Amino acid sequence: MELGELQRDNTGRCRVSSPVPALCRQEPCALGVDEAGRGPVLGPMVYAICYCPLSHLAELEALKVADSKTLSESERERLFAKINQDGDAVGWALDILSPNLISTSMLGRVKYNLNSLSHDTATGLIQYALDQGVHVTQVFVDTVGSPESYQKRLQQSFPGIEVTVKAKADALYPVVSAASICAKVARDQAVRDWQFLETLEDLDTDYGSGYPNDPKTKAWLRKYVEPVFGFPQFVRFSWSTAQSILEKEAEGVTWEDTPTEEAEGARSIRSYFSQEGPRPRLPHRYFQERGLEVATTL
Amino acid sequence: MDDSDAATARQPRVHLRPGSLRDAAPGTLHLLPCEVLATRAAPVERFFTPAIRRGPDGLRASFRGRSLRGEEVAVPSGFVGFVMATEGPGAGLPDPEPPQRDEPPERGWDHRAAATASFGRFTLWGLEAVPGPDARVRGALGWPSLAAAIHAPVAEG
Repeated sequence: MELGELQRDNTGRCRVSSPVPALCRQEPCALGVDEAGRGPVLGPMVYAICYCPLSHLAELEALKVADSKTLSESERERLFAKINQDGDAVGWALDILSPNLISTSMLGRVKYNLNSLSHDTATGLIQYALDQGVHVTQVFVDTVGSPESYQKRLQQSFPGIEVTVKAKADALYPVVSAASICAKVARDQAVRDWQFLETLEDLDTDYGSGYPNDPKTKAWLRKYVEPVFGFPQFVRFSWSTAQSILEKEAEGVTWEDTPTEEAEGARSIRSYFSQEGPRPRLPHRYFQERGLEVATTL
Repeated sequence: MDDSDAATARQPRVHLRPGSLRDAAPGTLHLLPCEVLATRAAPVERFFTPAIRRGPDGLRASFRGRSLRGEEVAVPSGFVGFVMATEGPGAGLPDPEPPQRDEPPERGWDHRAAATASFGRFTLWGLEAVPGPDARVRGALGWPSLAAAIHAPVAEG
């Protein structure tokens, strides 16, 4: 899989896709959606779609792509190669969401939760297939959150297509299994070849699975916490595991939208009135509007 | 600078070494839209600088997982920016060089200060958006030109 674009700049999102097989523009197709790397505190989340003419579904089934979670990394790579070989009939597309994009989305002024980010990414990929001229008539999605509301949402976005959202869809429908393999192979490769933006001394890439409950991952996070900057961008700052380590081991940071405790407000007002010497005159409005005041501390 | 003698006597006096203003090396300054609750050395060059992206719509970076948008802002024309540090035990500055001829004697000064860096521009960062034209910082940068007019000698007659 060619992920060069991701390695050049892994701070945002990156789309990688196969050429669209001519057959997929002519014949009605089934399309599967799945994701990899939703839970880890480290690395990107990858969304994948895989599509194939209804008349060729049996070939996908014959690849025995089902049950991708039980497959080893090398078996998944072998299956991905087979999916790719079947380029006359099977197409795929990926959206790789960098950990930095996940952090900045979830920690924005307006909170954008992981479910919404996931749903919008899935919708974006289905739309991408339609824009490429793929004749999609059926969509199968492995669910994120409640299948009912997700299905309703997708059905509203794509009224002309039959949408099926189901838990464990990756084990039920070969197009979803194939999408799940594409997503996992890309995620493994992205993590393995991650280009750290930061200059880290003696970088130790032995971070385990990247899941918050992995002791190796936790140890790695504690080792790479930097008092001012926190973590490298490889870490999802929005994960509670990352945040609790920051709270304990990094300097405090306040933002304009950081909720302030009432006690702090009260103290600062008191200190204003109890200042020694004559009570300071309020500066002219010109200065107040610009945050300027006479220097008294130097 | 003819403030009342009483005020001058109460306020500690700081002597700024003029030589340091001439020798100050160029520094890189970022004004962040957040407060880091500690003053300390930080590996800016290793973490922050490589993360800055220059796009058609300005600069992008992130800090602590939050998205920043920035813009370079020039020091008002006719002015120069300096980073100053007070000297003395524990001030973190190298030992003062031997007094130079242009410097007044040491007596009578409570502190010494020196410029440690100079700058002609700095990078202004906002949370998710570049601070707008009404931002306080931009307003404050307009003060020196108005101040020059206010404090200009009044023409007689």
